[in-house]
Amino acid sequence: MDAEVRRLEEELQADLQKANTAEDIEALRVKYLGRKAVINQLFAKVPSLSGEEKGKWGKNLNLLKNKITSAIEEKIKGLGSAEDKIDLSFPAKKFDKGSTHIVSVVSQEICSVFEKLGFTVVEGTEIENEWHNFSALNIPLDHPSRDAFDTFYLDIPQKNAQNGKFLLRSHTSPSQARVMNIIKPPLAVVSPGRVYRPDQVDASHSFMFHQVEGFAISEDINFAQLKGVLLNFVRLFFAPDTDLRFRPHFFPFTEPSAEVDISCFICKGKKEKCSLCKGKGWIEILGCGMIHPKVLKNCNIDPKKYRGFAFGMGVERPAMLKYGINDIRLFYENDVKFLEQF
Amino acid sequence: MRFSLNFLKEFLKVDIKTDKLVSLLTMAGLEVEHFEAVGSDWVFDVEITSNRYDWLSILGIAREAAASLGKEIEVKYPKVTKTPLLKTRTIKIESLKDCPTYVARVIRGIKVSPSDTTLKERVVNCNINAINNVVDITNYCMLKWGNPLHAFDEDKIEGDIYIRRARQGEKFIGIDEKERELCPENLVIADDKKVIALAGVMGAKNTEVTESTKHILLEAAIFSPIVVRHSRRAAGLDTDSSYRFERQVFAGYLEYASSEAANLILEKCKGAFYGYAFSGKAILIKDKNLTLKLKELNEYLGIEVPKSKVKGILSSLGFKVKESGKGALSISIPAFRLDVNELVDIYEEISRIYGYDKIEPQIPQIARPLAKNEIYDFKNKIRNYLVQLGLKEIITYSMESDEALKALGYDNVIKIVNPLRKQENALRPTLLLGMIEAITYNLNRMRQGMRFFELANVYGRDKDGFCESPALSIGVAEEEGGFFYVKGALLELLKNSNITEFSFEEKSLVSFTNALELFINNKYAGFIGKLDNETADKFNLKKDLFFAQLDVNILQSESKFKVYSPISQYPAIWRDISIALHKNKKFSDVLKVINEKKEFISDYQIVDTYKGKDLPEDFAAFSLRIFYQSAERTLLSEEVDKIHNDIRKRLEQTEGIKLR
Repeated sequence: MDAEVRRLEEELQADLQKANTAEDIEALRVKYLGRKAVINQLFAKVPSLSGEEKGKWGKNLNLLKNKITSAIEEKIKGLGSAEDKIDLSFPAKKFDKGSTHIVSVVSQEICSVFEKLGFTVVEGTEIENEWHNFSALNIPLDHPSRDAFDTFYLDIPQKNAQNGKFLLRSHTSPSQARVMNIIKPPLAVVSPGRVYRPDQVDASHSFMFHQVEGFAISEDINFAQLKGVLLNFVRLFFAPDTDLRFRPHFFPFTEPSAEVDISCFICKGKKEKCSLCKGKGWIEILGCGMIHPKVLKNCNIDPKKYRGFAFGMGVERPAMLKYGINDIRLFYENDVKFLEQF
Repeated sequence: MRFSLNFLKEFLKVDIKTDKLVSLLTMAGLEVEHFEAVGSDWVFDVEITSNRYDWLSILGIAREAAASLGKEIEVKYPKVTKTPLLKTRTIKIESLKDCPTYVARVIRGIKVSPSDTTLKERVVNCNINAINNVVDITNYCMLKWGNPLHAFDEDKIEGDIYIRRARQGEKFIGIDEKERELCPENLVIADDKKVIALAGVMGAKNTEVTESTKHILLEAAIFSPIVVRHSRRAAGLDTDSSYRFERQVFAGYLEYASSEAANLILEKCKGAFYGYAFSGKAILIKDKNLTLKLKELNEYLGIEVPKSKVKGILSSLGFKVKESGKGALSISIPAFRLDVNELVDIYEEISRIYGYDKIEPQIPQIARPLAKNEIYDFKNKIRNYLVQLGLKEIITYSMESDEALKALGYDNVIKIVNPLRKQENALRPTLLLGMIEAITYNLNRMRQGMRFFELANVYGRDKDGFCESPALSIGVAEEEGGFFYVKGALLELLKNSNITEFSFEEKSLVSFTNALELFINNKYAGFIGKLDNETADKFNLKKDLFFAQLDVNILQSESKFKVYSPISQYPAIWRDISIALHKNKKFSDVLKVINEKKEFISDYQIVDTYKGKDLPEDFAAFSLRIFYQSAERTLLSEEVDKIHNDIRKRLEQTEGIKLR
């Protein structure tokens, strides 16, 4: 009996050494602890032993059984789990998710920065007339300044001479005239939406694109506040360390007027061959200024009492800058591979 | 426009590095887009804003550079000769509105030859071809003063000179040797027999100054900006001359430009001054006066500009400034600044030279928020909700071709008078075509996941002339789900807006099969349908398209605030019924019978559908699972059985419904 037990122990040690998988251990368990296991055959011999021997072997065999059990358990723990091991390098699940168009994302983002400062969103209409799109904004008929605002005209019969022909708005600025005619200052409004210009489509032009117009009017609005509001915007929209530069420019509806450049957020103005700013260190992003007194007057607001500022920016351009999109046509092709990235 | 540093130095001593000058000019509003060294000179490409006609001259740019450098320019005015008067020809202006002033100087016995190096360099470095000494001198003087000039070969002018509108169909061959047919929109310079120039735009070939020219007539004039604009557009031309006239030229420098050109021709081409002619209104130059209050200036800008700075900036720009009481300045605006009329214009002059970068940012107190823009917020809400449902937002063009719209049954669409392309010549009254285009684009690229929606305006005509209203479209291609996917999305959307009073009605719609119209509170709110095969073929769509379009205004006005509905703490019990339905009956008929009594029914769902041989002819089968639940207690199995059996009985008694 002694010899048999010793042999069993030696065999177990050897088998434990070889067992490396859950399957091996299971086989081990069946071999040593299963119904037909050797140890059970040994137990079967105990009743036929003499009195003293009976007690001794009963106890020894039980100890041995516990030893085998714990050795196997130990081995299982060492392997991690008794469950099937899986190939973790397999591809992950793909989700069929919805997505907001990046133009909507950016437009909402722009508006919400200004909403936090107390601006209200008011959308204008896309079908406009010459008065609101041009004349009210101090853009005279037959003036070279209109060249910058080439426009699609519509075949809707004209109603009155002052409003002129119907057209698709070429910028969101007519919202200024629309709002000022209805709501009296103080006011602060942002107005997002689609605009249209007859530009041949290429990587950076589209006959339809999006803009956000913003303006504020009160008795004490000033040029420095315009700068503060826009600095706040570029820092929240682009990066907290973005710098801003006002460069004098001309817009018929503002005076003084400025074009606004932001410091290049890629090279921080330090790289000579920056792909974004071409080494200038600055990127032009929007136009702004103090609302021209003539515009206030055209909208029935007394320019002696009130002052205002206004700014206008594209949506596609900041989106392209911020997300590194290199072709404006991508926005309107609606390729699923493009849409699902945002 | 392009200008050169050496030319600038004729008016101003520049003693700073070129890149410093570039940045000063840019930050004063004269944006330098590009600059480079050319020989011993530097050339600059600048963007001239449409208000600054005066920057279309070296003199104007020099004045700007001087102000930025804190210096003053030095101008040498030429000797102006007005005698003897020209007796051989008369100048006849048809309308002083078209041409207020016309001046001619005749020089005889000249020798035309190539220009000397300096003169050539001046014009070439400003991007104008060197032709011969006479033409180069006229261009040099135009560049210098901003007033375009033109020299005619005097021998080729027959009779008097007329400034008149062209006759319809009159022929004109310009010095570019192209023949153009004119119309009364064109203002021309003509002699007794022919057109000799397109006024303010281009001279004619027939009187061009060449190497053989002996006598010249030098023209300097003021033409109406609008007339020149229309004329050059009608002729399809855009020249250095028309560019300046369109933006207005300053009459005050007319005689200087003309006299300097005449003097230079006499000096460089020899010959003798023969005569001077003037026609039109006498040139009156008057400065405008304004009073500026420093307090108002500083309030407007939000900074404190010292009075001495204000005075210094304005004088360097050519304004005359006098103290006028405490904190006030009397300002005389120089006549050459046609763009400066109001105090705000002066504020801009001061602030841009003082430096926009010296303005410290402030944050305004926005006093009163307006009422919320409900439609904007609502659109954002449904956009976000549809994205949560797994749909992708698309943006497509607002314009389509009127022919494609006609094929969908839309006849009276708003058309674009000046479309860019035929594909986009009308405003769309439906979002369907944009959806088809987006789906087709993706199908052609073997993409998946075409579950799209778009939020955009649709346009149409109505009794007020036109209407524009926000719409929502949902479209899925066959593999991404079908009709019931779209219907499900709609129902989720209605639920999310807490719209409970709605109904669907089957309808036959143009271009659609299997269409339902949606009514909310009996108001038409949109439709769902499968695009019919004929229409799909027409637009080359290779898969079935399930499409819905809704009126966002109706959705928004009918939407209600969400209210929490309590959740039952007691278990639901379900029972299944296997139903065979005759093809003349609908599921809604089954539902109607079940809902006759609504006791404890909390939900239902189809768990199985079946079509097979063991069904009676014209019948289709499905299993319906009905859930019973109470908010107050646990239902007993027996009472559920009783209700359920009652439903079974009612269904059994209905014609066209068989229980299995």
